[in-house]
Formats: sequence, C-alpha cells, structure tokens
Amino acid sequence: MSFKIAVIGDKDTTTGMALAGATYAHVHAAKDETLAKLNEFLTSDEIGLIFVTHRVAEELVFEFRQMMRTKRLLPLVLRIPDKTGYVPKVDELQETIKRTVGAEIVVKKDGE
Amino acid sequence: MATALAVSPNRTELMKLRKRLGLAQRGHDLLKEKMDALVIEFFEAFRKIQASRTKALEQLSTAHRALSNCFAVMGTLETVQATRETKRELQIEISSRYLMGISIPAVEFGEVQRNALTRGYSLHMTSSVLDEAAREFERALGLLVELAETEAAAFAIARELEKTKRRVNALEYILIPRLKGALKFIMMRLDEMERENFTRLKRIKAIIEEHR
Amino acid sequence: MNADRLIKFELARLNAHLPERRISLKEALSLTKPQVPTRDGSVHSFKRKELELLAKLLPEADWEKLQLPIFIALEPKLGRGAARVSGEVEAKVAAKLLGKEATGELLIYRPEVALLRRKLPTTIQYLFLW
Repeated sequence: MSFKIAVIGDKDTTTGMALAGATYAHVHAAKDETLAKLNEFLTSDEIGLIFVTHRVAEELVFEFRQMMRTKRLLPLVLRIPDKTGYVPKVDELQETIKRTVGAEIVVKKDGE
Repeated sequence: MATALAVSPNRTELMKLRKRLGLAQRGHDLLKEKMDALVIEFFEAFRKIQASRTKALEQLSTAHRALSNCFAVMGTLETVQATRETKRELQIEISSRYLMGISIPAVEFGEVQRNALTRGYSLHMTSSVLDEAAREFERALGLLVELAETEAAAFAIARELEKTKRRVNALEYILIPRLKGALKFIMMRLDEMERENFTRLKRIKAIIEEHR
Repeated sequence: MNADRLIKFELARLNAHLPERRISLKEALSLTKPQVPTRDGSVHSFKRKELELLAKLLPEADWEKLQLPIFIALEPKLGRGAARVSGEVEAKVAAKLLGKEATGELLIYRPEVALLRRKLPTTIQYLFLW
C-alpha cells in the first residue's frame, strides 16, 4: 500500500524534508499545537512514516511516549537529529536490548 | 501445590492431566525454540541498525550543511518559497513481512532522487545551491526510510521476544510444576485407594474362609 | 483450561505465516513478482537478489528441484540449539553457503542458522515441528 511522509521539527528539518518530497510538515512552536498535529498525523490513513526531531520528542516526552506506546502499527515514527546533530544520551535501542537480553551489547564492525 | 488444581482422584482425571502436561511441555519446548530464533533475528536487526544509523545520520548532516548554505546564498524566504513550489507527493510502499507470528513492515519506494527539472520549483528564480540541498536531502531521506524500516523490525522482534520469554517462564515455573504436583497427588491417592481396596478384599476373603 | 487454549493458540501462530505451497527456483526466477501464497491468506515475496545468489550456487539442472522457501526446521527433539535443513538440493545449497559438505539432510547449529538467515532472509524460513 502507498503512503506519504510527514515531518515535525524545526524550520531547517521541515524545509529540507519538504524539498526532498515529504508531503506534510509541521514546524514546532507551541507544545499543544504540536501534540495535536502529531495526533493528526498518527491517525491519518494516508501517512506511512513520520520524522520527528529528537528535540521535539524530548520536549513532549510524556505525551510522546504514551502516544508511541498506544499507536497502531502504522505510521512508523522515526526520531532524527536536527541540524545541531543532537541525539539524546539514552538510546532506546540499547535500553530495549538490556531489558530483553539482560546485557549491553557492542557490535564489532565486521567485514561485511 | 496440589490443591491449586482441584481435581478428583480418579483415572479419567489422571488421563486428562497427563494430556495437559504433555501439551504444556510441548508448548514450553517449542516456545523456547522460538525464543532462540527470535534472539538470532534480533541480533541481526540490531547489527543492521548500527550500520544504517551511521550512514543515514552522516548524510543528514551533510544535507543540513547544504541547506544552510542555500539559506545563506539564496536567502531564507526565497528557499522556503521554492519549497512551497516543490512537488511533495513522495510515496513509500509499505507491506507486511511475517516472521514467526509477528508482522514486520517492509518499506520500499520508487525514485527518490529527482532532478532540478522534475522537482517542481522554477529554475530561473532559484540557484544551484537549492538543487544541491534538495539532492542531499533526497539522499538522506532514502537512507532514513531504510533506517525506519530496520528500527521498526528490531522493536517488533524485541516486543515478541519479551512476550515469548514471559510465556516460557509461566509454563516452566507455574503451570508445569502445578500439573506435575496434581498428577503426583492423584497417583498417590489412587495408589492409596488401591491398597485400601486390596486390604479390604483380603479381610473379606479371610472372613469367608473362616465361615467355611 | 484457559492456559491450554493459550498454548494451542501460540502453537498455531508459530507456523501461521508459512506458505501454502512452495515453488521451484526455476519458476521463481521466471516470475516478475516471485512470491508464494501463505496459509493465512496473504503472499510472501522473495527478493530477486537472493534468487540470483541461489542460482549461482547450483547447476541449472537443480533449479527445478530446489523448492522455495527453504525451511530451517526447529524441532525440540533435535535438542536446543540444533536445527535441520531437509531435502537433497536444499541441504546441498545450504551446505555450500556454510562451506560444508551435505548428504541429503543437514543438521546445523545456532551460529549457522544465523548465517543462513542473514544471507537469505526471504528465501529461508523457520518451520516449527512437533
């Protein structure tokens, strides 16, 4: 099935993604407004993937986590750094691994 | 433990319990195999994410640099204006791949990379720095879509792994011991009843003999 | 009794995604959309890259004999950590990928399972047996 792409973040991120063809974009300003937009994107049947910058996700932290826990399979949500390259210290994937496998894993680069 | 399952000590119950224990043990063994396979799949997904993330994030920062350059050269307003004229109907194809009972999204798309003519903004109002920025972001978008797919797979597998682990533990530490306990109880009672019966029969026999 | 239903449900789920029937490598290569129908009503697609890899590993005479997807059978009887690839040609190609020899049936261990799945994610599937 075909889907469109949406992006929520700062002006640079949204402009860049729009230039590349993303259909829906929202520049984050006020928390309530952004949450409403995110909800709109999450419940749209047209959107298959939403990019959200780490900064925005962190600002909306509680509601964001809740929405991620309760959302349907689609749209997919991917958090990306904005132009400052900011990534949060807590890597959710590492956390998931710790919980699932019970240890931290560092994968060595192999020659594939 | 035995009283957790209220069963009457008779042969039918014994047979039923044996069947249930067999099912529980089969379920336990198979879910353990599933767990092992999920761990293999999870590690593979994780390995792919590492590679995918580095590439994608590197390209994203390249793209941001190109965009900043564009803002500087062309001006912010003009850039944003050009963005409004760009064709923004990029489509991705999402289908489901199945793995051991879980649905994992597979994401593909057609041409992400367009050229200055097909993007939609007019050429004489814009400069080549815009094309550069657009091209870098298109490349970044492609890699990020791949990353989204891989991350979705890893999280779906992790979730299923946790669920499966819980089931294996429930079988191993709760259900199977309970069934075994109940089984033991019934067998003991049946043995007891049989011995009581045997003793009673002997006594009756002795009485009959006496009266001969 | 609820526990029993749950166990049966989980067991059914293990193989729910498996194909209704398999197709030969030869047939898969000839289709524009190489895929097989699955038992739960959808389709499972093979990646062309993998089909080409398989074709390279086998003589053309075997293309008709290789049934796809190849199954890695997980059976508790084999013991934890062990799996089996059945089928003469299937075992042959799996063995080739692992750098081993094979005769009719191939018993493999966890790291080998991982390697096979990494190389052929859509043309190899897990099959649970009991």
